[in-house]
Amino acid sequence: MSEFKVHVRQREDDIHVLELRGYLDAHTTPVLEESFQRLLHEKKYRILVNCRELTYISSAGLGVFMAFIEDVRAGSGDIKLSDMNPKVFNIFDLLGFPMLYDIVPTEEEAAAKFGAR
Amino acid sequence: MRVRKVMLFSGAVLFSVAVFIINAATRNIDLGDSAVVYLRSVFNLLAFTLIFLLVQIYKREHPSAAVNSLSRLAVLSGIFLAAYVIVSLLPLRGFKSEDMKLFPQDYLTILFSSVISIIAGIYAIATVFYLKDLILYKRKKTTARNFWVMVGLFVAAAVSTVTARPLEETFLSGLLSGLAIVMIVVNSFRLAWIAYLPRKEKVYALLYSLLSFFGFLVVLIILSVSEGWTQKGIHYYSPPLFVFVQLASTFGAIYSGMAFISTLFHLPTAEAFDRKQTEISSLHNLSRLINQVFDLRDLAETATKMVTEVTQASAVWLEIIPAAGSDGQSGLLSVRNIAEEDIRPFMEPAGRSLRTAVLQSRSMLMIDDLHEDRRTRELPRLRTAGSILIIPLLSHDKVIGVLYATKEISYGFDKDDTDILTGFADQVTVAIENARLIERSLEKERLQRELMLAQEMQKRLIPQQLPEFPAVEMKAVTSPALEVGGDYYDVTMVDERRAALVVGDVSGKGVGAAFYMAEVKGIFQSLARIYPSPKEFMVNANAALLSSIDRRSFISLIYSTLDTVSGEMVIARAGHCPFILVSGGKAEYHRPGGIGLGLKGGQVFAGSVEEKKIVMKKGDVCVFYTDGVTESRSSAGEDFGYDRLLAVVEKNAARSAEQIREAIIHAVWDYTDAKGYHDDLTILVVKWTGGGRNKAGE
Repeated sequence: MSEFKVHVRQREDDIHVLELRGYLDAHTTPVLEESFQRLLHEKKYRILVNCRELTYISSAGLGVFMAFIEDVRAGSGDIKLSDMNPKVFNIFDLLGFPMLYDIVPTEEEAAAKFGAR
Repeated sequence: MRVRKVMLFSGAVLFSVAVFIINAATRNIDLGDSAVVYLRSVFNLLAFTLIFLLVQIYKREHPSAAVNSLSRLAVLSGIFLAAYVIVSLLPLRGFKSEDMKLFPQDYLTILFSSVISIIAGIYAIATVFYLKDLILYKRKKTTARNFWVMVGLFVAAAVSTVTARPLEETFLSGLLSGLAIVMIVVNSFRLAWIAYLPRKEKVYALLYSLLSFFGFLVVLIILSVSEGWTQKGIHYYSPPLFVFVQLASTFGAIYSGMAFISTLFHLPTAEAFDRKQTEISSLHNLSRLINQVFDLRDLAETATKMVTEVTQASAVWLEIIPAAGSDGQSGLLSVRNIAEEDIRPFMEPAGRSLRTAVLQSRSMLMIDDLHEDRRTRELPRLRTAGSILIIPLLSHDKVIGVLYATKEISYGFDKDDTDILTGFADQVTVAIENARLIERSLEKERLQRELMLAQEMQKRLIPQQLPEFPAVEMKAVTSPALEVGGDYYDVTMVDERRAALVVGDVSGKGVGAAFYMAEVKGIFQSLARIYPSPKEFMVNANAALLSSIDRRSFISLIYSTLDTVSGEMVIARAGHCPFILVSGGKAEYHRPGGIGLGLKGGQVFAGSVEEKKIVMKKGDVCVFYTDGVTESRSSAGEDFGYDRLLAVVEKNAARSAEQIREAIIHAVWDYTDAKGYHDDLTILVVKWTGGGRNKAGE
């Protein structure tokens, strides 16, 4: 049940997409953290998180985004989120994440918000 | 026992005196075959039987080790010889012999004949007893039988001379003596005790057996060839005694001689035998130790001590390699016979390569000559080490420690050493693993206790009792998912009329969350009175938290003031679950804006927080809760959710605050069975009863 996977994919516009799948809670956050760390290590700051297959996110999971956002923005990049199902969006929304992050319905919209390179 | 000994002794003395009196009375008379001769023999037999019993008791009370028995034999023969010589030197007139009969020339001769005869008898009996110890050291079925047959033949050969004249040699006595000697030879092959002697004792055994061999030999020679009166004195006193003493001495001489030769042949293998012995006892000790020593350091101490004993290594030390990811004890655990600076070369790069090689190959490494071997030529010369043996301690394919042993000489370790030490290493490994397991379980127990303590502390942070008001009921509950949690609720009075209510949820679970929860309590208690507006409270609480909270943690909070007289509630939400308001029987979620605390400071936060003002009317219910309620999951993996919660509240809204709270809890419990999942969970129910105003007659 607590299966969680991250698939990283690079788009043509130099945006790295993290496709989250499954259940993100305190036990599975290290997987996501590792993905972020690797991107930051490679100085890839344009990060798009596609949440199409993310079924649940706990407060610990939300914490991962908070942990990296400052470094990403300091590298003049951003973390943008897309394709959330309503339940997951509700969790983000309750906490006020839409005020802190771009959360948009589709990956393309999110990519567009990065602007050209 | 004491009484018995005294009786035996007195008896022996009595019979001996009787014999002496008979001898004295019949000094010049040829007794021939008269009854007196038999009487005297009977007295003699009784006297020596009593001595026999006395010696038996003494031997039983003073058991002696093999080597000691052997030394006693040497001493016995020595004492008898000394007594014999002293008595022989006395100026006595001796005997006149006539037709193989002896006639004492004076009473002193009779007296000293008695004395030396009794000494001879004790000597012979004691000799037989000490030899018995050695022969029966390791008994087989036939061992004891052969011994007693031999003793029986001694006695028979002796008794057969009862009727003979003192210097007469009878055929029967000769025959029985011959048989006795055959049995002596047979018994003299019972030398099992030699093998079990440690090397040092074997050397002593060699010495003692040689001494007693010559002792007994001289006794035999004197008894056979001496022409002095003393030898005749024993004959005169009792011919059977003379035969017995002769046979016992023969026995002593032959057995000592055999013992000497056998010990001599055992000597070359003595060291190997010793080592096997030590090895067995050390392994035995070690396996016993495994069940006794739980302290790693003690264990290492014992292990190195044993290795030193078994291999005679000049220095032994044990290095424990902590399991990956543990902060357990590491490094040198026990160092024996060596100064730490002598070990250092092996810990520094040049010597360290040996260790690395062992860790990589996971097999033993032996260097016969540290000064010549190319692997160790770089090492500084050590007076303490000429050869070294390094053995890895392997547990489940992992090296948990390394055992080092050095000898001062080169080529110090042989195959035996490596065999023993490899076996030894396995035992030590098991012992270390055991010790670690116990250490870990103790540690776990300690943490458990601390966690219980934390739980107790946290319970005190939650109000034991909520304040009571005439017009409003408040009931709350909180239940952490783990021992401690990050949920929090509290109520405090802002002023005389208004109460401040708070329900919060720290991100994450467990001890980390519990710490922040305690901080939230401090912030709530101090800021609620300073900032009457919920929005102002939130902004200031956020500022306070931002300075201390780590980046990835945050806190969701719902905060409300409640005018306990007018029913006005001003509610602000910071990232928290929407609250439920049941007004006029209709339940609805309300969700004023506001992002979580600790996420973002300044204007972004302040701009996000909204206040919601409501006025409670009679029967209205307000429910604050944490996401543990809505996110509780059934075993099928489905959330309890907002709709179910709303339905339960609406359905029970007419009941008391306490009943509403119970209804929610039961609904959640029923929904999540044993396999289900729940997070920290908190509920605060506020029900406006309007009681006060009615009673006030408004």
